[in-house]
Amino acid sequence: MNGALDGFEAVSAAKENTQLDNSLDFDDDPLSATGVSRKSLVIFFLIDTSGSMKGKKMGELNTVMEELIPEIRRVGEADTEVKVAVLTFSTDVRWMYSTPIPIEDFEWARLRANGVTSMGAAFKELSLRMSRNSFLNSPSLSFAPVIFLMTDGYPSDDYREGLKELQSNSWYKFGLKAALGIGNEANDDVLAEFTGSKDTVVHAYSGGQLAQMIKIIAVTSSQIGSKSMTLSDDTGREIGEEDVFAAKQKLLGQQIQELVGSQVEESDVPFDTGW
Amino acid sequence: MEGGRISMFNGFSHSVMGASHEKTGLVCQDSSAYKVTDHYAVAVVADGHGSKKHFRSHIGSKYAVESTIEAIERFYEDPEQFEENFPKNHKMILRNIEKQIIANWNNKVEKHLEENPVTAEEKSKFTDEEFEKILPESYYGSTLIAAVAGKKFTFGVQIGDGSLVALFDDGKAVMPMEYNESAPANVTASICNSNAATMFSSFYTDKKHIIAMYASTDGLYTSFGSEYDFLDYHTIITGQLTNLETFKQAIVNNLTKRSRYGTEDDISLSCVFDSDFLTEKESLIKEKIEENKKLAAERKAELLKKQV
Repeated sequence: MNGALDGFEAVSAAKENTQLDNSLDFDDDPLSATGVSRKSLVIFFLIDTSGSMKGKKMGELNTVMEELIPEIRRVGEADTEVKVAVLTFSTDVRWMYSTPIPIEDFEWARLRANGVTSMGAAFKELSLRMSRNSFLNSPSLSFAPVIFLMTDGYPSDDYREGLKELQSNSWYKFGLKAALGIGNEANDDVLAEFTGSKDTVVHAYSGGQLAQMIKIIAVTSSQIGSKSMTLSDDTGREIGEEDVFAAKQKLLGQQIQELVGSQVEESDVPFDTGW
Repeated sequence: MEGGRISMFNGFSHSVMGASHEKTGLVCQDSSAYKVTDHYAVAVVADGHGSKKHFRSHIGSKYAVESTIEAIERFYEDPEQFEENFPKNHKMILRNIEKQIIANWNNKVEKHLEENPVTAEEKSKFTDEEFEKILPESYYGSTLIAAVAGKKFTFGVQIGDGSLVALFDDGKAVMPMEYNESAPANVTASICNSNAATMFSSFYTDKKHIIAMYASTDGLYTSFGSEYDFLDYHTIITGQLTNLETFKQAIVNNLTKRSRYGTEDDISLSCVFDSDFLTEKESLIKEKIEENKKLAAERKAELLKKQV
C-alpha cells in the first residue's frame, strides 16, 4: 500500500510498482462480481433490407451472417472484446438490438426484405448513435469503430444529406469504413462516397461471392480495427492519431483488394440472372 | 451539516504498473497516496502522460500527489478556522486550493530540473528543433484527482482524465465531479498546461456526509465494460472496508488483474472513508450490493432482446 496514516509519502509506483506476478491467486477475489473488460471494438453493420433484397440475396446474407459470427468471435479471442451493432434500413431504419452486443452473446436475427432504400436516414441514425452518450459509452472502448455498409441499389432518399451529417461525426471520421455492393444495381460511386475511397468498396454478383466478400471485409476490418498501432514511426518520431487512423484505413483498402484479387471465381448463378 | 460529525477517517492507496508499460520497458507513470488526520482525509492519484515529450512524467505524477497533499495541509493549518471559512465562500477557496496545488507543483518541477538538468540521453530522442519547442514543465506532465473528506464538508478537484466516486449517506455510488466545460473534451488537460489553474473541475457539498470516496486513474475506468459496473465495483469495495487489513491484498490482486486483463494500462486507486459512519451504514451497503446485482442481471436480459 502506498501512503501512510501519519504524515504521508507519495510513493511513485515507478519505485514500488506491483509486478505482474503469475503466482497471484485471483480465485479469492471478492471483487470478481464486476468483470474485467478487455479493450473493446464495435463493428457496425448497415444492411439494406429494401424489397429488392428479397429472395436469394436476403437468404444468402442471413446465412453468411450466421456463419460469420463465430469467425469474428475468433478475431476477438486474443485481447479485444468485439461488440456488434446491426442497423437495417428499408422504408424505416431499425437496430437489431437496442445497444451493441458482445460477440459472445450475439445471435443473428434473420432479416426480411421489404420497402424502399432509406440510406440517408440510416446514415443519420448511425451518426446519432455513434456517440459517447449512446452506443459508444463503454469505458473499455479503445478503438475507433468498424462500419460496414451492404446494399443492392440506389438510395431512395437524400443520402447526401445523411452522409453530410455522418461525415461530421468524429467516430465516423476515425472509423474503418468498408462497403459491399450486391448485384448489378448497386452503385460503387455512392459506396465510395461513404467509405472515402474505392479500395474499400467491393462488389458481389452471386451468392458465393457475397459470402466471400462479407467474410473478407468483416474479418479483415475487425483485425485491423482491433490492432494497436504505434503512435511513432520507424525513426521514433511521434505521429498524430489522425495519421494512425488514416494508415489503418489505407491498410484495410490494400488488404481487401489483395484478398478480393486472390479469390477463385466460383461458377454459381449471378443474382441478376433469373433470381 | 451543523457542527459536523465526529469522524474516524481511514484510507488506502495503491498503484500497479500496466502490462503494456512492462512490455515496452516504460516505468509506471501513476502515483497515489492518502493522508488521514482527525479533521480531514485526502485521497490523491495522478497519471503521468507517458508519451515521448513528457519523459519525466513519472516524477511529475509523484509531485502532483505531493503538491496536493501539501496544499490541503496548508489550508487546514488552523482546522477550526478553515472549517468555518470554507462553507462561506467555497468557490473562491476551491480556486485558491487549485492555484496552490499548481504553485507547489511548479516549484517542485523547477527545483528538480535545476538539480537534474536534461541529460544527453533524454535529448537524444528529439531533433534540436523539436526539443526547443517543448516547454520544460511539459517533461513532467500529469493528471491529478483529489478527494477530500472533512467533518463538515466534502470536496474534490481534478485536472485531466480519471474518476472520482463517492458514496454519501444514501449508499449510492456517484461521480459528483462537475466537469469544467472550458477544458476541451478532445485534449487531456494537464497540470503542466500554462493555464492549468483554469482547467480544473471540482465539486463541493456540505449537505451530505461521505461513507467512502475514491480517486482513480483512467486505467481503472477503462477496465470496465459499462459505467454501471464501474460504480457497482466501488460499492463492493466499500462493503469490504470494515476488514481493511484483510482487504488490502484483495484490492492489490484485483487491480493487478484489471491491468493485466483489461486495457494493460497503469492503475491507481486511492480511498478515504469514515469508518464509524461505514459501520453505521454497513447493512445499507450490503443491500445496495444485492440490489446492484439484481439490476445488472435485468440490464443484461434487456440487452439481449432482439428488436427485428
